[in-house]
Amino acid sequence: MSNEVKPLLTIDGLCFDFSGQAQANEKPGNQILNQVSLTVRKGEIVCILGASGCGKTTLLNLIAGLLTPSKGSIELNSQKPTKRLGYIFQSDALFPWRTVKDNLLLAADIDGSLDKKTLEQSMLQYLSMFHLSEQILTKYPIQLSGGMRQRVSIIQSLMFDPELLLLDEPFSALDYYTKLKLESEFSQFVKERGTAAILVTHDIEEAVAIGNRALIMNAGTLQKEFLIRSEAAVMERGTSDFAEKYREIWSELKSVVGEIQ
Amino acid sequence: MTKSNSKSKIFELLLYPLPLLAFVVVWYFATQGSQERQFTFSSPEKVLEAFLRLVQSGELLQNCKVTILEALSGFLLGTASGAIIGLSLWYSSLVAKIAKPYITALATVPIFALAPIVISWFGIDIYSKIALAFLSTVTVAIVQSYQGAMAVEPRFLRLMHVLGASRWQIFRLVVVPSSLIWVLNAMKLNIGLALLGAFIGEFISAEQGLGFMIVKASGLYDMATVFVGVIALIVIALLLTSLVDQLERYLMKWKTQ
Ligand SMILES: Nc1ncnc2c1ncn2[C@@H]1O[C@H](COP(=O)(O)OP(=O)(O)O)[C@@H](O)[C@H]1O
Ligand SMILES: [Mg+2]
Repeated sequence: MSNEVKPLLTIDGLCFDFSGQAQANEKPGNQILNQVSLTVRKGEIVCILGASGCGKTTLLNLIAGLLTPSKGSIELNSQKPTKRLGYIFQSDALFPWRTVKDNLLLAADIDGSLDKKTLEQSMLQYLSMFHLSEQILTKYPIQLSGGMRQRVSIIQSLMFDPELLLLDEPFSALDYYTKLKLESEFSQFVKERGTAAILVTHDIEEAVAIGNRALIMNAGTLQKEFLIRSEAAVMERGTSDFAEKYREIWSELKSVVGEIQ
Repeated sequence: MTKSNSKSKIFELLLYPLPLLAFVVVWYFATQGSQERQFTFSSPEKVLEAFLRLVQSGELLQNCKVTILEALSGFLLGTASGAIIGLSLWYSSLVAKIAKPYITALATVPIFALAPIVISWFGIDIYSKIALAFLSTVTVAIVQSYQGAMAVEPRFLRLMHVLGASRWQIFRLVVVPSSLIWVLNAMKLNIGLALLGAFIGEFISAEQGLGFMIVKASGLYDMATVFVGVIALIVIALLLTSLVDQLERYLMKWKTQ
């Protein structure tokens, strides 16, 4: 039924090269993205897999408005995306000089129209949703573990009530068990709130575990799409369904990444 | 803290005055019994004598007060306005580019060369000394804080852009706090420079201050008073440095928590 609903994000014929950009350090005319088209619906986690340097981060930066496309269009709710985006990077961008609480309430400093009381309430809700104790609020980021910092980063962007979350290998620096936990907390959140997410990952297992779709990217183009599930549910690791999906994606990815033993 | 740890700490504390003590002892014995050497190098007991005399007459305190007032005023004015200018240069790379040669020029002119001009403009009162302390601190503050502003981690800027922050918000919420460590560094360097600026002013033309006291005493071949002045300057510098250290500990508490 969600197929009938108008997509939340529509990307059409997106092209990009660094020639027009201030920070270009490559010869112009070198296409980084070529005719990328993609739609994302509410409540969906779309995973993007691909070799390093194929343009995944660039795609997220374009959606977030950090870069300007040379061709094509990006529409969020039929409009140019403005503020209602959350972007979570591989390493957190928490301000070390602010306490966790002040980091989480950054939204109040940036958007004066937000009510601080309401923000604090949702902050406490998110803390329990992501299994963080309120005691960390008075701590500084330097005192937290990597997993906690990444959770705080996610909550920080949720405070802006984003419709779309962009995540660039957010769990890749975490140890295996922390990663499993965060993945399930995250997909639970998306399911409950009906938010949408684009998750860049190099981890097929992660894509199969929490993704609705997986897109394989190769040299700046989206090469193939896999449907993993229509509901945001965690697929049990170790089941044959899981293994089957994993194998399908792996065999495609192998041809893209090249010879891997 | 373990027992052996606190023991070694006490041992370390005992080691600190050792070089100073050794110096005083050598000084004492080297100048003992020779009028000629005492005339050139003075001696610990003569310095102590002069110190007590200058304290009693109130001269030392008065001169210290004047030099501290000059150096501290110049330091605060120079560091504050330098930090504001340096951080603001973050706003416009064009202005920063144009400002660069001027700042370099100001930074490379020896403050000694400017002193006669400044004194003829501001007179021989404390204002010319404040101006010299200002001139010798402002450039360091500009350069340090501009470097700090340009060294803001890109991931913080990226986050602020994604969140739709304005340029002023980025400046206030990211650039200023993350450059603080650079401004504090400038402060540390500037303590010595501010004292130097004030001292040069007093040295060239003044009626009070430690620089004046030293010049006058050396004109009279009163080496003991010269030494008292030098030691007073060192003590003032150390006190001001420890104040900045305290400020740093307070402002950077997130680092040590
Ligand atoms: N500032 C830049 N200037 C020029 N080329 C860049 C710049 N940043 C990234 N690139 C190039 O763009 C390509 C895609 O990079 P990226 O999107 O970061 O890849 P991925 O995230 O998939 O590893 C790479 O080939 C990279 O070399
Ligand atoms: Mg990347």
